[in-house]
Amino acid sequence: MGLTFLVFLSSGLFLGWSLGANDAANVFGTAVGSRMLRFVTAAGVCAVFVVLGSVISGAGASRGLGELGRVNALGGSFTVALGAALTVYGMTKLGLPVSTTQAIVGGIVGWNVFSGTPTDLGALSRIVGTWIAAPLLGALFALVLYRATERAIHHIKPHLLWLDQWTRIGLLAAGAFGAYSLGANNIANVVGVFVPASPFGDLSIGGVFTLTGHQRLFLMGGLAIAVGTFFSRRVMLTVGRSIVTVGPVGGWVVVMAQALVLLIFSSQSLEAFVVRLGLPPIPLVPVSSSQAVVGAVCGLALARGIKGARQIKWTVLRNIALGWVATPALAAAITYVALYFVQNVFEQPVYQVVTGVAGG
Amino acid sequence: MAELKISPFRRTQVLKSQIDEMLDVVSQGALTYKHGIEHYVRHGWDETAEQKFRQVCEFEDRGDNLRGAIGQALYTEMLLPDTSGDVLGLLSSLDRLLDDMMHGFMILRIERPEIPPEFHDTWIECAGLAVDTVEQVVVAARSYFRDPKTARDHIHKIHFYESETEDTALRIMEQLFASDLPLDRKMQLRGHVWLIDRVADVADDAGDALAIYAVKRSV
Repeated sequence: MGLTFLVFLSSGLFLGWSLGANDAANVFGTAVGSRMLRFVTAAGVCAVFVVLGSVISGAGASRGLGELGRVNALGGSFTVALGAALTVYGMTKLGLPVSTTQAIVGGIVGWNVFSGTPTDLGALSRIVGTWIAAPLLGALFALVLYRATERAIHHIKPHLLWLDQWTRIGLLAAGAFGAYSLGANNIANVVGVFVPASPFGDLSIGGVFTLTGHQRLFLMGGLAIAVGTFFSRRVMLTVGRSIVTVGPVGGWVVVMAQALVLLIFSSQSLEAFVVRLGLPPIPLVPVSSSQAVVGAVCGLALARGIKGARQIKWTVLRNIALGWVATPALAAAITYVALYFVQNVFEQPVYQVVTGVAGG
Repeated sequence: MAELKISPFRRTQVLKSQIDEMLDVVSQGALTYKHGIEHYVRHGWDETAEQKFRQVCEFEDRGDNLRGAIGQALYTEMLLPDTSGDVLGLLSSLDRLLDDMMHGFMILRIERPEIPPEFHDTWIECAGLAVDTVEQVVVAARSYFRDPKTARDHIHKIHFYESETEDTALRIMEQLFASDLPLDRKMQLRGHVWLIDRVADVADDAGDALAIYAVKRSV
């Protein structure tokens, strides 16, 4: 059973690896691209904190994704992850903006359609709503952080060399925070669909602390993302150089804004706090780190006034908006076709018929 | 011999001290140059003028060493990745100011021209204005490192003093050629005035570059 599960999990791990190779660039791209941090340092810190975020705080977003559709057979989980991975791979090859989050959501909807499970429209609309909210929040956070940082620098007037030194430390800390948030939020994309079919039980480590079955699964996914980060050098340099015009301090603002967005949509403590205040709960769902970064960069440009707003490439934003529609639709279609093959050609069960479907 | 590894904070502190020292050296070099010229004009080349010349040479030598050490540290330690080129450009301009002041003083030491008494005051005034231009470059450079937005407040003064130096130098040259001095002396003295004016010109160029560096830093 263990080996069979690992074979099926391979598509999720592959998705995790590609997520690490692509999305680590959003966290440390600016720092590495602008030569403020060495790649090995960035990848090492990113790997450690992605694993920590996945294991410690990965449950929230994973639960949110589960509300969309509980993929209840290992063959189905494998195919959904594979469909998402193929979509990400294909879109990347075509040079189109792609989000792992949107691909996995599309894959789950594809599975719902194939298995005849009704899609929880409430959960779907919450997830789609975050795709719009994430870049907007990224922009808002970046705007506020930039203004505050600019004011602080103007007030303190640090020497250029000390500013450089503190920016390096800030980039490292923000990168670690961003990697933690990335792990916490995006682990759901990687192994979220395997949660209902996970065979793992609780594991006590030396009697000191216990890893739940889900945490063991998240640990594996986290390690896959961590391995992927060491393959992200080229993407990091590309992202870094395309955003390098914002400068190292601006880079820090972008990474912090992105990390805050990811944290908001994955922190169960924050959600509980918001509910205690009598406010509507924050939907804990995986969001796209790429879109949060793009939003943050736009926010940074807007913080500089009309001159900055003119620098925004609206065609890039248009392509991203197109990606919002194209990625989940393509992933749903690929997953549907792949499920048909896995079920009828490889004769693997891809879903179990249940009488009552859990809704959100 | 193995290089001694120091902490990033210590390294930053050392480099900051070197940059501050470079600015101090340029400022002190300029003041020494001004006193040296003033002394020469009033008293001719004597022990004191020789001493001032030696001091300017020492400042120039120290400036060279500091510029080299700062440049090496910036590149080998990958510090200031986005502004290291500008910082080195600025330090090169400052070093060139020291070079030009030393060069002008050296020509004076070699030729030791006799400056007619009627030109003493304007000659000293011209050297003083040139040194004021250099001083403003140093002040603007200090602002660049701490608060680039205020560098602009000093840069306009650089242009002002450079313009004043040029006017004074022009006035001396016009008076020289209107005088009864032999042509060879007129041309020799004009050359020395030109060397003083050149210091202000180089300082003005440094100010122009600094204005761009400051804008780049505040973007």
